[in-house]
Parts: sequence; structure tokens; C-alpha cells
Amino acid sequence: MRTRSIVSEGKGIELASELVRMGARLQLLEAEIGLSREKLLKLYKEVKGESPPKGMLPFSTDWFMTWQPNIHASLFMSLYRFLLDHTGARGLHALIKAYRLYLEHVQLNDSEPVLTLTRAWTLIRFFEARMLQWARCNGCGGNFVAHAYDLTHNYTCGLCHVPARAGKTRRAVPVIGTVDHAVAAIV
Amino acid sequence: MTGAEIHNEIREVNLAYLMLAQQLVRADRDSAVFRLGISTQLAEVIERLTPGQVLRMASSSMLLCRLRFEDRMLTDLLASHEREAGMSRLHAAILAAGEPVEHLA
Repeated sequence: MRTRSIVSEGKGIELASELVRMGARLQLLEAEIGLSREKLLKLYKEVKGESPPKGMLPFSTDWFMTWQPNIHASLFMSLYRFLLDHTGARGLHALIKAYRLYLEHVQLNDSEPVLTLTRAWTLIRFFEARMLQWARCNGCGGNFVAHAYDLTHNYTCGLCHVPARAGKTRRAVPVIGTVDHAVAAIV
Repeated sequence: MTGAEIHNEIREVNLAYLMLAQQLVRADRDSAVFRLGISTQLAEVIERLTPGQVLRMASSSMLLCRLRFEDRMLTDLLASHEREAGMSRLHAAILAAGEPVEHLA
């Protein structure tokens, strides 16, 4: 038995279902919540109404280095660190609160939440394992996510120096096109 | 604006600020600490204020809250309209999360 008391098991179930609603994958639950895999699997199916996706979690730190993910990851990680530095929130609670603040920010600005909860959790683990580190931007003084052992004393962030065609993804362009066509069709 | 008008306006802003702050802290203290930019201790003090204390504090002739971001960069970003607004707000949020909070002296 991994959990001894019913009360702590109840708390685990509550926390796990909250995490599933926020988009956590089964691996996150297995690592963070002391419930059996069978229980977590059942809970996942009950909350989501479908089986959890199979396959491994993304394990590369490179994803966090591309332009848009880097900005979103830096925002989330800054929020997470703020909570650790200035409040009593720790562990999963800090993850959930920081992720909520991140989502709120992204939704206020009408952009897509690029970082999923599971990615955010992976990001924290990468930091703890010292595979990623902070880099201070020379332009704005903000802290951004960078590879460990990168030379960062001359670092400029992707927002101070926006690369050409940044954010103009294949996905973003056709949407505008179809809206225009739709409007043209109506007119 | 006459002296009495100024005093009235200040009291209203103070009252709105204190009531909002109290609500935020009561709903979720940790997020409130981030939103308000104050320390946990200060948040606890605000949480414990009675309605009478809130009223007395609000009717001072000075503003109780002040500009949080003295950083020139941050004010530039928050006020800028040149670039895509969403991106500069995202940038400002990253910088703001790195700012220190108000502490109890």
C-alpha cells in the first residue's frame, strides 16, 4: 500500500482530478501523487471521459528554446519562482497556482496557451535537474529560460530582439485568410 | 479641484483599493501576493482588517497605494502601443514577476 490513511488518499484523489482537468498526463500523476496506477487510470477516464494518451512525454529541452515556447516558458517559470520566493506555496500547489496565473495572462492577451500543464511540470523538473537555467537579458534585464552551460553573459531575449517572421506560423496565417474569404463570401 | 474634492477622490480610491485587496487575499492569498505585489505578512495584515479599520485607513488624506513599477523599462512596455500589444504585455509580465514586493517595514 502506498497510501496509508484514507484522508490523505482522498486529498490525493482531489488533487489528481484537479490536475487531470487542467490537462495533466498520466505520467505526471504517477510521479507526483501517491496513488496506485490503476486508481489513477480509473480517475483519469472518469474525469476526462477518455483513455489517457499513450506514449512517452516529450523529453527534449530544445522545445523550450524556440521563440514562442521560450517566451511562454519564461513567463510561467517567472511566475512559479515568484510564488516560491514570496509565498508559502510549494510543489504541486505552486505548479497549479503558477499555471493558473499563466493561463489567465495568456487568455487576457487573446493568445494560445502554448505551454501545457505537463510541459510546465517538465520545465520545472528540467530546472531542478539543472538541464535548464536562467539567462538575464542584456536589453531588458528580464530572466529567460536557457540551456544549462550556455554562455549567457551577452544574452538578448526573443522579445528585445524579435527574429524575422516570428510568430507567423503556418497555423496563424490561413486563419486570417479564411476569415477574409468568409467575409468576402457574405458581402 | 478643491481641497474637499481631492480628499473625497483619494478616499474613494483608498477604499476601492483596500476592499479589492482584502477580497483578493481572502480568495487566494498566494495569487493575491503576486497580483498586489505585497509580502505575505502584509497580505495577512490586510486580511485581518475590520470594516471599521478599512474605513478609517481609507479616509486618510494620502493615497495608500502607489505605483508599483518604478522601472522605466516596465512602464515603457506597459504603456507602449507600437508593437503588438499582446507581446509587450507578455514581456512586461515576465519583467514584473522578477520585481520585489512591498514589505512591512
